[in-house]
Amino acid sequence: MSPAPPAPEGKTLTVVFDGRPVEVPPGINLIEAAKLAGIEIPHFCFHPRLSVVGQCRMCLVEIEGIPKIQAACTTPLKDGLVVKTTTEKVRQSRAANMEFLLINHPLDCPICDQAGECTLQDNAFGYGEQRSRYDERKRQYAGFDRTMIGPHVVADMTRCIQCTRCIRFCQEIAGTGELTFLDRGGRTLVWTHDGKPLANDWSACAADVCPVGALTTREFRFRRRVWDLKKTPSVCPGCNIGCNISIESRDGVVHRFLPRLNPAVNDYWLCDYGRFLSESLNARDVAKTTMREGGELKDAAVPVAIERIASEIRQTIEIEGPSALFFLGSAHLSNEENFLLRKLADHLGCTNLDVVVDKSRVRRMKSKTDWIEGDDFGANYAGAVDMGLSPRAGGHGLADVLEEGWTPQFVLVADAAFAAAADDPGKVARLRRSRFLAVAATTANALTRAADVVIPAASLAQKEGSFTNVQGRVQRFERAFLPPPPARAHWELLLMLAAALGWGDRNWTPSDIRALIRREVEGYGDVTEEELAGGGLMKKGLFVSTGAL
Amino acid sequence: MKFEPVLLARAGRERSQAIDTYLADGGYETLRKVLTGGWTPEAVTEEVKKSGLRGRGGAGFPTGVKWGFVPKDTRGKPVYLLCNADESEPGTFKDRLLMEEDPHQMIEGQIISAYAIKCRNSYVYIRGEFFHGARVVQRAIDEAYEKGFLGENILGSGFSHDITVHRGAGAYICGEETGLIESLEGKRGQPRVKPPFPAVVGVFGAPTIVNNVETLCCVTHVLKRGADWFAKIGRNEKNTGPKLYCLSGHVNRPGVYEAPMGLPMKELLFGDDYGRGMKDGRRVKAVIPGGASAPMLTAEEIEDCPLDFDGLVAKKSMLGSAAIVVMNEDTCIVDAARNLAKFFSHESCGQCTPCREGTPWLYRVLTRIETGEGRLEDIDLLEKISNQMANGMTICVFADAAIAPVLSSVGKFRDEYRHHVEHKKCLVDSRAVVEATV
Repeated sequence: MSPAPPAPEGKTLTVVFDGRPVEVPPGINLIEAAKLAGIEIPHFCFHPRLSVVGQCRMCLVEIEGIPKIQAACTTPLKDGLVVKTTTEKVRQSRAANMEFLLINHPLDCPICDQAGECTLQDNAFGYGEQRSRYDERKRQYAGFDRTMIGPHVVADMTRCIQCTRCIRFCQEIAGTGELTFLDRGGRTLVWTHDGKPLANDWSACAADVCPVGALTTREFRFRRRVWDLKKTPSVCPGCNIGCNISIESRDGVVHRFLPRLNPAVNDYWLCDYGRFLSESLNARDVAKTTMREGGELKDAAVPVAIERIASEIRQTIEIEGPSALFFLGSAHLSNEENFLLRKLADHLGCTNLDVVVDKSRVRRMKSKTDWIEGDDFGANYAGAVDMGLSPRAGGHGLADVLEEGWTPQFVLVADAAFAAAADDPGKVARLRRSRFLAVAATTANALTRAADVVIPAASLAQKEGSFTNVQGRVQRFERAFLPPPPARAHWELLLMLAAALGWGDRNWTPSDIRALIRREVEGYGDVTEEELAGGGLMKKGLFVSTGAL
Repeated sequence: MKFEPVLLARAGRERSQAIDTYLADGGYETLRKVLTGGWTPEAVTEEVKKSGLRGRGGAGFPTGVKWGFVPKDTRGKPVYLLCNADESEPGTFKDRLLMEEDPHQMIEGQIISAYAIKCRNSYVYIRGEFFHGARVVQRAIDEAYEKGFLGENILGSGFSHDITVHRGAGAYICGEETGLIESLEGKRGQPRVKPPFPAVVGVFGAPTIVNNVETLCCVTHVLKRGADWFAKIGRNEKNTGPKLYCLSGHVNRPGVYEAPMGLPMKELLFGDDYGRGMKDGRRVKAVIPGGASAPMLTAEEIEDCPLDFDGLVAKKSMLGSAAIVVMNEDTCIVDAARNLAKFFSHESCGQCTPCREGTPWLYRVLTRIETGEGRLEDIDLLEKISNQMANGMTICVFADAAIAPVLSSVGKFRDEYRHHVEHKKCLVDSRAVVEATV
């Protein structure tokens, strides 16, 4: 496949779009330049991060001085270029291409998952004719329809428009090259080499770049019509790269993650591991507050449980002093939550604080310019450390509890899924040696079963906050929907507890807490709103190219 | 005055492929003259420009001018020469003859051309079906190595050159130069977006010149006997040199004929030295003058038609690879167009939407008409589909080629199409409606 046209260097260029001169930066594609001018040039095969092949022929425009109609994507940008996108010739060529693309397309939109975010639908509506003159049998790909070609991706070649984005993604971004064109002419299809599976770490991105329903993911197939889904900007909980995602939910159920376009972090991509953690957000075993009284587990109201924890803390301080308290934060909690936990510890004079992560395999993500490596399981390990969740001078950490035989009298675990240790009966037994063990949790494990008080807490989709990634970027995630009562966000529970112990303000919101962090935590004073907001929302396949990005 | 063959002078002689007979006929003397006689590469290019030699592969682009497109500064990259021996245009069989009968003529031309563009390694991309041809060419290359015409420091001139034979895998589109380049690189044979043109970014990302077998053979003779001699052969200064014509179809004596550029079409069909008239005394109905991708001509149009690049452009067709396919009055034009449409539908590489989807569509509509299921509006539909496939709608000109037989036959033989639709059978009596094959 051909390389992209050479990018002009130097200062901005002036390109005339439909009679209007527009200043555009050099080095971008004509399609993106048009976007900057507010002009949409319809296209299928062009993708800002993939090589330019000029195959779909949808982006045809007229260029002054060239008699034949030209593909915009392969036309090198140069100063003084005069582009016409609204002529009759352009209109006709777009309509012609739409007719050609649709003659063999099954038009099975009612049962296609792509419907609603399909470039073919959009362009047919925007640039096609009402009627087709095709009266022959449609092409079918027996044996190449509705087939899993990898652990996540389902291929249906009858819908394919042969734009090769998926092939180029696997070759140029993933670097694995599983996909290829087979056969030729009207029988051309995309498939894997020798039937080997499409199984790279980012395989579902091949479905993302697919502008039609030819490649979809097994996990999302037939789950929801996409126009029913609510998009919520969030950050992937998978690792400390902190890929920008949108949580796509409906009626309090998370249906999928999609990447959010952030060139500095995950660009257009998302790894399979992170993407398919989406289902884990729907897990909830801890639905009510339980309290152990006289060896017996009883249901309780959240304020009662909070008061019980507060009184246990006061009692511990009275008898053994604050050095018998142990607060365990988490790399899965937001900066705001870990900050509250540390401030509460400071308020009580507790020096025993910690945060733990399990080392996982190295995960890699391609930003616009570089590969980023993430290795800690726990999206916010960096943030937790920044917030001060490590043993203070003279204090103890989790290793002291698990390995050194130090036994605190009161243990507060702010997030019961803090690490693999939380489901290790031997290790939990060490924590359990304390007089009182309180945890907040969404799912059950050895720790919640051992605890004296268990309070249901919100999942990532049910609260807002911010994570700090491996690059030191602080990125906000928003709440997709409310947690089911009585579950509450961790920060809310911590504020309730702090108020019961005489610190803080129950009316604080995460943004109030962020303001405190800005003031008090080194390096957080200059976090910009832009950094916090992260990338822009996208549709599957229909990446809204923003040119300057 | 009878024309003395130039390119086919040695064809048909005993052991014409062997290097000893080639040397005995003065072979490789031109190479010696060029390499050791003080010719600079620029002078060779200039001589070829002066000869007016135009590419024999189909497009008719001036060869010397093409060579001149190689950048002066290649930024350390090598320059490649590719001999296009894919000869995939239906009706064409001249390069095969040249390679099988006189391979050294081509090899000598290839080495001289390589010298002109300062190329160290060149390739012969030979059609996969030319099994025998590939063996003959390889044997000739081996002989040339033995005699020192190839390899390091040829004839003590300091110029070194190697030729590699690469066999194609059977795709029409690999005869298109960028498709050929992709295929040679080991990729799927599909044309590239131009610009950049191969002379700047070609095979392996390096400047590349692609020349047809016959073109390279001509280079030998341009340098052997001079540009002026070459330029005098032919109809005018824009259409020069000897030309091989591949005559096939309903004539008495089909075959490859060499004649000066601009031979009148009537002469080729009816001349005693050439086709010797129509078989069984039938009349001419249509002629395809330049391979499957050239628009058809009617019997009236061939009356005063010189067979050269500009002569056929004047008839709104093209010389192409000079494959003249003659169809007599018993030929069903719809069937002929359908046959060609089937070929193009089979050979489209499939990367561009209009060609991938349009070529099978044309074939299906033509099949419907041919099998008596056509409607009158189908005839207009054929033209409409064709018109929205070509003229910049696609990366390469394959689509332009694919619509040529359809558009020209619909335009010139509309009555036959109409008859087919209205009577559900051919206008010509000898043919019945064929069974549906789709």
